[in-house]
Amino acid sequence: MKPVIMFRDVVRSYDGGKPVLDGVTFSMQSEEVVGLLGRNGSGKTTLMRIAMGMLFPHKGSVELFGLSPTEHPVEVKKRIGFVAADQELPMFWSVGELIALHRKLFAKWDAAMEKQLLERFALPLNTRLNKLSTGQRRQAALLCAVCHRPELLLLDEPAAGLDPVVRREFLETSIQLLNREGTAILFSSHQMADVERLGGRVLLLDGGRIRLDRDLVTLREQLCVAVITRAAVADMAALERAPGVLRVRTMHDKVHAVIDGNPDSVKRLLAEHLGVRDAEVKRVGLEDLFIEMLGGERLESAA
Amino acid sequence: MRRRVASGQCNAVAGAPSDMVIYITCMLLSISASDDLPIYRQIMRQIMDAIAGGRLARGEQLSSHRELSEQLVIAPLTVKKAYDELEALGYITSQRGRGTFVSDTLPKAAQGVQAEQLGELARKLLSQAYLSGMRLAEVMQLLRQADRSLTTGSDVASRTRRKTAI
Repeated sequence: MKPVIMFRDVVRSYDGGKPVLDGVTFSMQSEEVVGLLGRNGSGKTTLMRIAMGMLFPHKGSVELFGLSPTEHPVEVKKRIGFVAADQELPMFWSVGELIALHRKLFAKWDAAMEKQLLERFALPLNTRLNKLSTGQRRQAALLCAVCHRPELLLLDEPAAGLDPVVRREFLETSIQLLNREGTAILFSSHQMADVERLGGRVLLLDGGRIRLDRDLVTLREQLCVAVITRAAVADMAALERAPGVLRVRTMHDKVHAVIDGNPDSVKRLLAEHLGVRDAEVKRVGLEDLFIEMLGGERLESAA
Repeated sequence: MRRRVASGQCNAVAGAPSDMVIYITCMLLSISASDDLPIYRQIMRQIMDAIAGGRLARGEQLSSHRELSEQLVIAPLTVKKAYDELEALGYITSQRGRGTFVSDTLPKAAQGVQAEQLGELARKLLSQAYLSGMRLAEVMQLLRQADRSLTTGSDVASRTRRKTAI
């Protein structure tokens, strides 16, 4: 079976500048959930837009369901639902007109799901989109994205700027689709609680590349952060090269290292390879791991 | 009105579990996405606590992956992972076409941890408590609170009562 998404060495820049995506390779299978994490400007939106066929890759290849999204835009888009925080919508249309257009465009439109979501979101059908709140507009976009029962749902920071109630409705709708249709979901978010709930695989995008590609359980249970007194690390380069070390950064008078393994195996590694015996080693939550992997250094002299 | 399955009564019905089964399983569980434990481990721990405290009886039916996933707003694979691990440990069993049930025969560790191990745990507990300035009576009070939490589900149970009354 062909992967739902296949990116091979994708490079993309804007106006000849430094590449925003610089050799991104990953694939997704049907019914898979992948969370795309990264700091602002890390290329998450560019990746989503390339997947949607809204942007060409400058190098590399992209396939959705085995087809190029720029060469077969209609065939690909029929099988995708897309919601983005900065999505452009026809603001002078009413909610009813927007839904009617999508109903006509998609042969597989599910009228029962439309009815259910209209009731859940309590959207006013005759109101123009420019008179709705941000949350209501995003709900209208979500309804249009899911009622044709897509095989792939692309959600680009769908929760940005939304209140907790609307955020939860996005999650509920996504999970309903996962359960009932087996829809694959690629979503980007800064809401780590949402990432925890949707589960699946996590891709960490940084400097135009994928720095980490692991399932959530592995991230939570098989990665540790070691905090070591700076003076105890005689050779920083040796620490960076040690097996399983994913990131090293300095925070004031401590060295923080993200390392593959459980607390016992990481302590053994530090003792055997570097002679460090007094490290504090712990498993951390997703938010702390994100900061440890992507956060900047704070040197003592700069503090 | 919904009510809880009587202790020890197996609610095994061919096909989908009833609304009551879904309701009961969900009321036993309280998930926090910001907890130190991954969500699947929270589900495991709470189901094991409910079995240990008698709030889930042997043979009692649990919600399906899909139902629990939608009720708790978590991915279905997360529920599957929790159930798979619990099944591997012997706490629950899944029967094709019928559903998932609390095991009739619980694993040895659940039936009674060796007295020696419990004695060691008690010594550690008292040592920590005395070092932090507590007295034996206060430790006993903590143990009684923990017992109530296991047998009644503490805050989860009080939320259940409120919801049932609405």
